[in-house]
Amino acid sequence: MWFGLLAEFRREWLLFRRYPTELISQIVIVVIAFYGLFLGASYVAGSHVVGNRLDSVIVGYLLWTLAMGAVGSMGWDIMNEAQNGTLEQVMISSLGLSRILLLRSIVMFLYNILFTFVVLFLIMWMTHRHLSVSIVELIPFGLAMASAIGIGYCVASMTILFKRSNQFLGLLQFVLLFLVMTPFASLPGWGQAIAVFVPIAPMNALLKQMMIEQFGLIGPHYWLLWSVVNAVLWVGLGMVVFATASKRARRKGILGHY
Amino acid sequence: MLLQVDGLCKTYRKRSSVVLAVDHVSFQLEGGQILGFLGPNGAGKSTTIKMIAGLISPDEGDSKVLGESTKRHRQRALRHVGAVLEGSRNLYWRLSPLENLQYWAGLRGVGKRDAVLLGRQLLERFELSDKMNHTVQQLSRGMQQKVAICAALIHQPDLLLLDEPTLGLDLDSSDRIQEIVLELVREQGIGVVLTTHQMDVAEALSDRIAIIQNGRIVLEGEKREVLDRFEGNVYVIELAERVPKELRPELERAGAVFEGPDRFRIPVDSSEDLYQVVSRLKPVPVVRIEREQADLATVFRHYTHKEAEQGSV
Repeated sequence: MWFGLLAEFRREWLLFRRYPTELISQIVIVVIAFYGLFLGASYVAGSHVVGNRLDSVIVGYLLWTLAMGAVGSMGWDIMNEAQNGTLEQVMISSLGLSRILLLRSIVMFLYNILFTFVVLFLIMWMTHRHLSVSIVELIPFGLAMASAIGIGYCVASMTILFKRSNQFLGLLQFVLLFLVMTPFASLPGWGQAIAVFVPIAPMNALLKQMMIEQFGLIGPHYWLLWSVVNAVLWVGLGMVVFATASKRARRKGILGHY
Repeated sequence: MLLQVDGLCKTYRKRSSVVLAVDHVSFQLEGGQILGFLGPNGAGKSTTIKMIAGLISPDEGDSKVLGESTKRHRQRALRHVGAVLEGSRNLYWRLSPLENLQYWAGLRGVGKRDAVLLGRQLLERFELSDKMNHTVQQLSRGMQQKVAICAALIHQPDLLLLDEPTLGLDLDSSDRIQEIVLELVREQGIGVVLTTHQMDVAEALSDRIAIIQNGRIVLEGEKREVLDRFEGNVYVIELAERVPKELRPELERAGAVFEGPDRFRIPVDSSEDLYQVVSRLKPVPVVRIEREQADLATVFRHYTHKEAEQGSV
């Protein structure tokens, strides 16, 4: 497993070094998209209103881009590997596809954190707004990524059976945006109970508790505990769904097909 | 026993039809041996290979690599297996050969230092040392195939599955790959299951032969034994004129291999069969009838055509 993780790190690093324009253009697109949203919202609601909520908008936007990476990467990976003719080799390796996808998600998350810091720095520079981010605040991000990896496994399950999930991944961006931007934790009555099971929702509440309400990691609403429960639940569910889909693909003999 | 394949079966359901792709296929392979696994297109070769590699689940039967079941302990069994699959690139095109080898080694539990050392040795052996740092997409088809074989060998497997390894390669590349496969088998004692349509390649490399037709094994045995069984039963017949067009399909069904418009080789089971062939050629004058040693192509045609005929009755 360790050698596999190092191999994935090395592969990503080599590809970045060989094709740096891919990552640079990605950073430029993410920053421009944010700035477009920021200018649009300022025009509609007035710069005073947007300015007051800018911190949570920035955090939500970064969470969304990170989650999109985690959710989409497994599906894209399977699609690309099947298209390029390497999926069967990955399946033959003794680690197995499920573990390799997990390793890739971990590597992708760590690289994406660096990428996010660059984006965050550029956004702060462009909006003249300064956020102080501590290492502890990476915990809810990490838990949110675990939850997103769970959904990623579900998307990968669909891709391994049908090989094409471009349309679905496109649609999923908006589902994720809804999950990240909806304040489930502030809903009355059963809303909070639902928030425990909705992917990323408790992590969103935890981030809000830490960055806006200034309660720290252990707040009065146990959001850290619910975030861990949510992350374990979604990763577990995703892995079970993926194992079932892989078994079905193997039974139908369609693993390497595109 | 390195590889034990027991009663593998696979059917595919496509809408209302059921296709029997592999029907109770069994064979064995010891280390240090090459099994030529032959059959026409769609006979079930690749499905069998993929079942051994754990990529397709069999409906029935199992295969064991060094006693580990690929059905029940897939990942443990796959530690001993390397594969180059037909129709797949098997490599990342944006990485160099050495980077590819290091990556695949990592996924197979080999550390970086060993991977680099072994990777360099393999690339040197395959005469690719000077291409070590080019990206794979810059290499020729033959070189890419050599790198794919290196990648399949990077974790020093006991069993190598080669699905059409020399297909579409120039003669030099094909010869070099054959030489190295033979060296690896003789020096390191690995076992190889080789599927190919190139009978000369199969004949040059294989110790054992298995012919599959319509999902069933129709012939299995030591290559020498199989060829000996045919020795004395293959005749070269040369005519003074072209073989009549209307007779060619009938002769082909009987296993005839045409070596020219007026010359063919044909296996016969008895002298009576030979006389029957000659009488069918009447009134074309026969110039020469000579008994010849069989080659794998003749054996292959004999068995696959016989099966096809039986299947169509």
